[in-house]
Amino acid sequence: MTTVRETAGYLPGLPAHEVQWQTLCFTRRGDTLEVNVPLLSEAQTVALSHRVKMASQSYLKTLSVTQIVAIVDQAIARLLDPQDPYRQKMDRLLPWVTGYDDDMVRLGLTGYLKTFRQPQLQRFLVEDFGNPLLLDAFQPRAKGGFSKAFGMDLAVHVWAGNVPGLPLWSLISGLLVKSGTIGKVASAEPLMAGWFAQLLAEIDPKLADCLAVVWWKGGDTERERTTFAQADLVLAYGGNATLAQIRQQVPASTRFLPFGHKLSFGMVAASALDVRKALKTAKEAAYDVMRYDQQGCYSPQIFYVARGGKVTPEVFTRYLAHELACFETKYPRRALDLQEATSLAAWRQAEEFKALAQPGSTVVLGDGRWTVVYHDALQALSLSALNRSVQVIAVEHLAQVLPLLASHRAFLQTVGVAAAPHELFALAEGLGQAGVTRISAIGQMTAPEAGWHHDGRFSLLDLTQMVDIEASAEAASELLAAYVD
Amino acid sequence: MAHRPLAPKALPMTPTALITDLLAFMQAQNPSDDAFNQLALRLFEHQYRLNLPFQRFCQQRGKTVRSVKTWRDIPAVPINGFKALTLSCVAPTDAERVFMTSGTTQGDVKGRHYHPTLAVYDESMRLNFAQRFMAGCQKIRMGILFPTEVLLQNSSLAHYLALAVQEFGTPESHYLLTQAGLDSDRLMAELTRAEQTGEPYALLGTSYSFVHLLDELQRLDKSFVLPKGSRLLDTGGFKGQSREVSMEDFYNQLSSALGIDCADCINMYGMTELSTQFYDAGNATLPSVKSGPHWIKTRVVDPLSGHDVPAGMQGVLSHCDLGNFNSVTTLLTEDVGVVVEAGFLLLGRVQGSAAKGCSLAVEEFLNAARP
Repeated sequence: MTTVRETAGYLPGLPAHEVQWQTLCFTRRGDTLEVNVPLLSEAQTVALSHRVKMASQSYLKTLSVTQIVAIVDQAIARLLDPQDPYRQKMDRLLPWVTGYDDDMVRLGLTGYLKTFRQPQLQRFLVEDFGNPLLLDAFQPRAKGGFSKAFGMDLAVHVWAGNVPGLPLWSLISGLLVKSGTIGKVASAEPLMAGWFAQLLAEIDPKLADCLAVVWWKGGDTERERTTFAQADLVLAYGGNATLAQIRQQVPASTRFLPFGHKLSFGMVAASALDVRKALKTAKEAAYDVMRYDQQGCYSPQIFYVARGGKVTPEVFTRYLAHELACFETKYPRRALDLQEATSLAAWRQAEEFKALAQPGSTVVLGDGRWTVVYHDALQALSLSALNRSVQVIAVEHLAQVLPLLASHRAFLQTVGVAAAPHELFALAEGLGQAGVTRISAIGQMTAPEAGWHHDGRFSLLDLTQMVDIEASAEAASELLAAYVD
Repeated sequence: MAHRPLAPKALPMTPTALITDLLAFMQAQNPSDDAFNQLALRLFEHQYRLNLPFQRFCQQRGKTVRSVKTWRDIPAVPINGFKALTLSCVAPTDAERVFMTSGTTQGDVKGRHYHPTLAVYDESMRLNFAQRFMAGCQKIRMGILFPTEVLLQNSSLAHYLALAVQEFGTPESHYLLTQAGLDSDRLMAELTRAEQTGEPYALLGTSYSFVHLLDELQRLDKSFVLPKGSRLLDTGGFKGQSREVSMEDFYNQLSSALGIDCADCINMYGMTELSTQFYDAGNATLPSVKSGPHWIKTRVVDPLSGHDVPAGMQGVLSHCDLGNFNSVTTLLTEDVGVVVEAGFLLLGRVQGSAAKGCSLAVEEFLNAARP
């Protein structure tokens, strides 16, 4: 029984002894990790906001985007080094905080961090801006005139959930657009963002004041209001209830970017269902289910599997079950608390009763550490209970699924597809119309590519304000030049 | 979900021998654990053989008569099973009585508990009630804060209270809840009478009916000091009620309004899906320890694995009630509890959990789907 202490947050200019701290406890196998999280006063929040704004104006905005990419690349290179002290701390403490399996976190982090290396960041920039120099100087536009993309002086990011590393997406996005950032970490994973901020400040000490990482308990409307009042933009992750609550604290004229909880699923066409391909697809499907125990918005909760292949949907279900059983041995699911276990048990029980009432049409496999439920007929969209529980639903044709999505548009995100090219593009059209924003290979559902459009939006562009010098201004200026004849 | 009709062939009634042995076991003084086990296994075999939905449930859990070696191996049926399945060894039409759950949690589907005879339920109630509530007293004048059995034919609580009046109430015992609500005049008259005559008085009803009673006393600005030997029995708690009261406030208020010591305020924990009740020994210290008679055993389990949780940890209560001779002896509740020396602590319903990640969870999905 050991106790380890760690401090979360990153507060440039605020001496630790002047800050009030609260302790969050994470226990694992009898050991306790005590994480101190900062709780700022109103005056401290205002001072911190001011400092970040100033630094964003006086330093961050003077860097070229290429320089920023190089700094982030250095930080990522450090974190990809297994010997680096920050990386070692992540590998040791993030599984402790989140409960996920050590190896799952380690492998997941490496894969994830790779998307923020220099070439990937360049792709990311080109994806949103076409010409990334738009962030550095006014650039000529095809329509005439010039434009420049300005990052905000202060953006506040409210992070949520326990998927390790998730805050890095928006934190790095903010840096790339030269925006000062204050991030609020989630109680479920309060550490990673602060470490990353410290690391950046080590690499370029002048960046030290350009970002800050704070904490408050979700729903602390007073602190939310105080912090948001300082911001030019508020970006938040969370469930609809949380987002609605946060939105109320954001001043009406401040841009608010909400990212809600999402539903993702997979589709397997008959063309992917000969014995060899079906085995591979089942393994990849199981991998997507296993990753972070389905806690990501891109994690599949259902697989629709077409009839007509050599392997039937029911046999595919058994392959999937086998693969989940294998993953359970290799990367065991995190320990569930009583509430989570009860929710999952209740879902399993309801499915078991369906199976008893309609033997054959519903099959429940798994022992509670993972669950696969097979339904041999299409039914209204219903969710799984997460934590490695997934449904397989047999369909005649994958297009049959599209009408089921109609009323759930706002929740749809990723669809993993295993199908031949012509099927892929035909499906993509229907899925896009239904509200799906990302289509990936099965096996890649939990690893969005660099430059993806998160929930159909522009991760970088949305954080900026475009300033146009219209052609008329340019033309008028010509008349005022000293050298005009 | 539709109720599956049982196989059309006439099912045999419960063997008389089984019921005779069961009643004898209930009446026995301190029977051995082995005797409990033997009877539990006999009942399991009986239920496995004659109740096909239960048999399929067991098979789904990989359990058969051969692999179930002790009462702990009997698969616990989640209480929703009483809604989704017909859990009866006799044809439902042959049941003397059907008790139904109030059906508040899963649409309008009500759980059904079929009793081919009430002999076992009644004997279980009598033996246990005499010991745990009457505590040596033969009869007591009772006021019932619940509708009559005639009004609520499918309510196990209505039957339980009717039985309490019939077996343990003096002839003057009476119901204080009419279709118009609490009979305030009668209540005041009874409380005044008890105070004046010194004859012990018992009030029995749902926890929430006692809240109404307290409201009424407050409205009338009245309080009483009931004579020694008076006692209260409340059941059900406050789950799903418009107003939640902390148990501590509840018993303190009852105690000061009626002059009954918290130690004489007994809480009964029962379920439509069981044939046996649990009681505490008063509520002077909270949470009170609940326990049942020797024909019911309780485990605290992990709801997913069904395994016992380590000592001192919270888990979900699973009861093996031999009184459930016709349905299933062993069921998994939705109540959180923890094992203590003399029984278990009941810690309320399992609460839903907040999302840990950013994947859409069932609750939010369903909330969005509601008009």
